[in-house]
Amino acid sequence: MTTHVRTRPRRLSLDEVRAKIGEPEPMLENKKIDHIDRFARMFIAHSPFMSLATADAAGRADCSPRGDYPGFVKVLDENLLAIPDRPGNRIADSLCNIVENPEIGMLFLVPGMRESLRVNGRAYPTDEPDVLARMRTEAKAPALAIAVEVTEAYFHCGRALLRSRLWDPASQALADELPSAGEVAAAQFGVDIAPEQFEAALEASYRKLF
Amino acid sequence: MQRTLLDRIDPVAEDVVSLVLRGADGPLAPWEPGAHVDVALPNWLTRQYSLCGDPTDRETYRVAVRYDPLSRGGSEYIHRFLRPGRALDVSLPRNNFPLDPAPGYLFLAGGIGITPVLPMLRAAVAAGLPASLVYAGRAAATMPFAGELRSAYGDAVRIVTTQEHGRPDFAALAAELAPGTLVYCCGPASMLTAVEAAFPPGQLRTERFQPAPKVFAPDQAFEVACARSGRTVQVDADDSLLNALQHAGVPVSSGCREGVCGSCEITVLEGEVEHRDDVGADEGRMFACVSRALGPRLVLDL
Repeated sequence: MTTHVRTRPRRLSLDEVRAKIGEPEPMLENKKIDHIDRFARMFIAHSPFMSLATADAAGRADCSPRGDYPGFVKVLDENLLAIPDRPGNRIADSLCNIVENPEIGMLFLVPGMRESLRVNGRAYPTDEPDVLARMRTEAKAPALAIAVEVTEAYFHCGRALLRSRLWDPASQALADELPSAGEVAAAQFGVDIAPEQFEAALEASYRKLF
Repeated sequence: MQRTLLDRIDPVAEDVVSLVLRGADGPLAPWEPGAHVDVALPNWLTRQYSLCGDPTDRETYRVAVRYDPLSRGGSEYIHRFLRPGRALDVSLPRNNFPLDPAPGYLFLAGGIGITPVLPMLRAAVAAGLPASLVYAGRAAATMPFAGELRSAYGDAVRIVTTQEHGRPDFAALAAELAPGTLVYCCGPASMLTAVEAAFPPGQLRTERFQPAPKVFAPDQAFEVACARSGRTVQVDADDSLLNALQHAGVPVSSGCREGVCGSCEITVLEGEVEHRDDVGADEGRMFACVSRALGPRLVLDL
């Protein structure tokens, strides 16, 4: 089966985009605030998941998931956040990008909540003991955190989450249609290892989350 | 777990709130002075708080919570976001700090460490026993219940504000301690250290609300055999016994996961244990969240 796209999709200018979607209501610009207000603070305190967008010095972008218990991102004050850097695969794409280019974007989700929270700012890695102490889980503190000086925060309406039926438990049946991570990895890495074996190793590594 | 509704949340001192939790399904489980409960917060965190109300009141539990500027999300959540009407699951009371029979008592409380001492002092006075309290805190405004203690017990209560007067003279208190009098101390680590240095260990009972800093041998992998279920579970060097048991499907209850609350107590049948908790395990028992095997293998009554 092949997908027939004879030419690249047409590229539009901003004027052409505006001609299609129109201008935003002037009022909507006001919902962008330059700090973490009490509503944003409440949202972050209940959010166990956030996606973190970073870019390198050349502007090459990347987005990575971050998750922990609700409130894992700490609001240090109304202009300053801290994200724990828990053990991962040590590739550290986000951290490498942040050191080159501090501009980041974050999208916070709260399970069951249709609206999401977008927070943008400038980030840097830190090992400040008082910050890491607030992230201790099961007697372990992360070795690093990402501090974020907040420049913009705003709530995003719920249409995308409604359309996606993201919180509908029935939507989880979609996962059954996908190959397991073990099958994907065995194929992608091109190594002679049984998918079940890979799957078992992955499951074992998922046991230690902190 | 017991279902409760948050009846009231009131400031009782600078950065301290008192919570009154009402049983949602009738009377709450009974408790003795010194007991604490785990409170399950909406943000998935579980925190331990000493019961500081009246044990004869079976309708409600009272706890008091100090806001910790280094909060990981427990006290901060309670102070910022909890409002009356919220449903909260609360564990059955556990008592790692029971009031043992004695001819008299000296209570030493530091700051929020006053909470377990409140019902203890009340019980001792009600029993007609000589009991006194030295209650230390940075400044009067930071000390919950100081006023009501003074008015209820008069000169039996001494309030020491450390900012003005420094720490109480524990050596002097120890020198005038009557034989047989038991000393109960709950407070910050620095106070416990000073108290432990001043009083004879046999007469002293302490409770910590934060793990004591300790140094241990490097973590080693070990194996545990569960005698009742016949299961064997491997515990990796970077894993905890509690985590390994729970992932293997061996049921063990858990709370703080850092050796303070005592929820994950298990019975050890064979093997040597390095106890890393702050509860103080009885002979033949261990706390699976932090304690480990000293040798390659333990046999557990699980």
